[in-house]
Amino acid sequence: MGTLLKVKNLSKSFGGLLALKEITLKVAPQQIVGIIGPNGAGKTTFFNCLSCLYHPTDGEIEFDNTPLATPVSNSVKKRVRISAIVFLILGFIRLPLFWSFFLPKTFFKVELFLLGIFILSIRFLLVRGLLRHEIWAWGLMFIFLLSDVCFALLFLTRLDPSNTFFLTPVPLHYIAIPWGVAAGLFGFYFIGLLCTQNVRGLFGFRTSPDAVCRMGMARTFQNIRLFYNLSVLDNVKIGRHGRLHSGLGKTLLKTRFQRKEEVAVEKEGLQFLRFVGLEDKAFDLADTLAYGEQRRLEIARALSTEPKLLLLDEPAAGMNARESENLIQLVKNIREDGTAVLIIEHDMKVMMNLADYIYVFDYGRLIAEGTPDAVRENQKVIDAYLGGGKDVC
Amino acid sequence: MPLFHRNPRILFLAILFLAIILPWVPLGVSSNYLLRVLTTAVLYMILALGLNIVPGFTGLLDLGYVGFYGIGAYTSGLLAIHYDLSLWVILPLAAANGALWGVLLGAPTLRLTGDYFAIVTFGFSELVVLLIRNELWLTRGPMGLPGISAPSIFGYTLSQGWQYFYLALFLLLVVLVVVVRLENSRLGRAWFAIREDEIAAQCCGINLIRYKVMAFAASAAIGAMGGAFYAKWFRFIHPDMFKFWESILILCLIVFGGMGSISGTMLGALILIPLTEVLRTALPQSMFNARYLIYGLLLVIMMRLRPEGLIPFQLSRSRKAEQAKARLLGGEE
Repeated sequence: MGTLLKVKNLSKSFGGLLALKEITLKVAPQQIVGIIGPNGAGKTTFFNCLSCLYHPTDGEIEFDNTPLATPVSNSVKKRVRISAIVFLILGFIRLPLFWSFFLPKTFFKVELFLLGIFILSIRFLLVRGLLRHEIWAWGLMFIFLLSDVCFALLFLTRLDPSNTFFLTPVPLHYIAIPWGVAAGLFGFYFIGLLCTQNVRGLFGFRTSPDAVCRMGMARTFQNIRLFYNLSVLDNVKIGRHGRLHSGLGKTLLKTRFQRKEEVAVEKEGLQFLRFVGLEDKAFDLADTLAYGEQRRLEIARALSTEPKLLLLDEPAAGMNARESENLIQLVKNIREDGTAVLIIEHDMKVMMNLADYIYVFDYGRLIAEGTPDAVRENQKVIDAYLGGGKDVC
Repeated sequence: MPLFHRNPRILFLAILFLAIILPWVPLGVSSNYLLRVLTTAVLYMILALGLNIVPGFTGLLDLGYVGFYGIGAYTSGLLAIHYDLSLWVILPLAAANGALWGVLLGAPTLRLTGDYFAIVTFGFSELVVLLIRNELWLTRGPMGLPGISAPSIFGYTLSQGWQYFYLALFLLLVVLVVVVRLENSRLGRAWFAIREDEIAAQCCGINLIRYKVMAFAASAAIGAMGGAFYAKWFRFIHPDMFKFWESILILCLIVFGGMGSISGTMLGALILIPLTEVLRTALPQSMFNARYLIYGLLLVIMMRLRPEGLIPFQLSRSRKAEQAKARLLGGEE
């Protein structure tokens, strides 16, 4: 048995507030791992880091032998920010160059041309240095090159604005060239933008949450987040999104592949609903479901992404005894089907019944770990929940 | 009505049939005038269907739709004047140009949320008008663009009102097919998910930026196609035709009809656009501009009585679910 999820020294701080500090945790395939801790212990923050909604400040997350996030390094971040600003400024400098083509002929253009060449060379070096090894960076470079060719051609054609060539055929390059130049300007804009976003490998990268989901980590939320205006079946179908393949073209042409897929997804959706016992409500709006049913629907939606690891955030909150019995059975069934489960729960009965291994959080730190029985006996855990000796006045 | 309820296709075909025979029904008023009003209504139905994708399906407020409409109209006009291309070449080219600008505008700005995005789109539409007004060498600016040739289909040049009406109807059908297919697909579901809850959508494996840009591009393409038809129909375009007010009007149609519901959107356009003409006769000449006031009043009343529009999204959705139920369970028996 390998490890499915490996978290090493994970920290997350919001400004000065340290929400998580050096959490180390492991989940094996088909294991049910529990996380407990008092309110505000950082459990949900931990989940948000795992599903990449948050970018961890420090530490590593490895899921299925692929790193999900590496920490932010502040010095590099600053450098990238500065470069981005330089890029944007250069983009604006290029703007008057663009407009100068439409100025009267008497305007001296050679200086502007030289300035243009100078900026081009700086830009080339900067972009290449910044975005090494990135395929889309080369794509952008290509757009730049194209725009530069247009840029040069524009000088050659000596476009004269005093001629109104309206109602006479416009040569194609009269339209193509300004467009090319505009494309170059937009390219600049994009570069600036990309640099302010995460550039992989340059400064700490974070996989996007949707990619994490497609890799096989699905989650539910503490405050239920369903698509309330859609039917129950539609909710599950949306969960199938990452497992379907028909895109814009196939949809518009309604190819046989797309139709088959649509029929299949309906059946699969019903199967997932049957698994959580909501099949008879499949065609109701999600809005009309009772609280416990909404929780189960969220689980069904998460399951429909075919996860290897399921993150459950307080699934039994607000459930009565019978409902939580059902939930225990449901989670056990999920494990039987080969999915590992990481579960946050306050209900100790549920936790002791389900978990193979438990981690205890308090104030963002890991204070204890072990099998349910060991954790129950642990003095630190009892202190965290009931208040420790010295703190009690 | 239960027949229509169970099988909306019959209702749809009935309305289509009505629309097709309409030009030949002898009515009291001048038939040309009536057809003109109806063609306008159909044009606005197309535009509303296009806009509906962004605020209705994806839940992003788009105040710059008219920018794409203008881009489509000018693309169509310029192509017709300079290259004298056929209508079947112009329409897709205009749509493609609209989509291109949709992507260019959308890709960087769709990271913004809510009101900020709305402001950017508003700025874009103003920019388009300014550009059209000032780039004399290309668009002739405030002098407008006259002399756009009438569309010809298979060598037959359109001239009568009913021919344009049929052309508009055909385009509406095409757009309708596209929009309905999108709505009932993986794409449409992704858009709905983004509208309902962005975070949950992300955690279901939906790439937000990608699907938002797609929605924006699709909407822009349909808007530009509407513009292309408008230019070929009116045969004269002018920057003032693409003012901000148009965006608001189309948004009104959607809000009135029901955000996100296709039938509602079309119904909204079908009621509000001819209403302009009704008001033209009902109101005294000097007060004609008061029609905007009446629109406003109508919207306020709607917000009070039926805030989700004539045909709310939820209703159309639950109806669709019922059909799916009938189809699936019927198949099993």
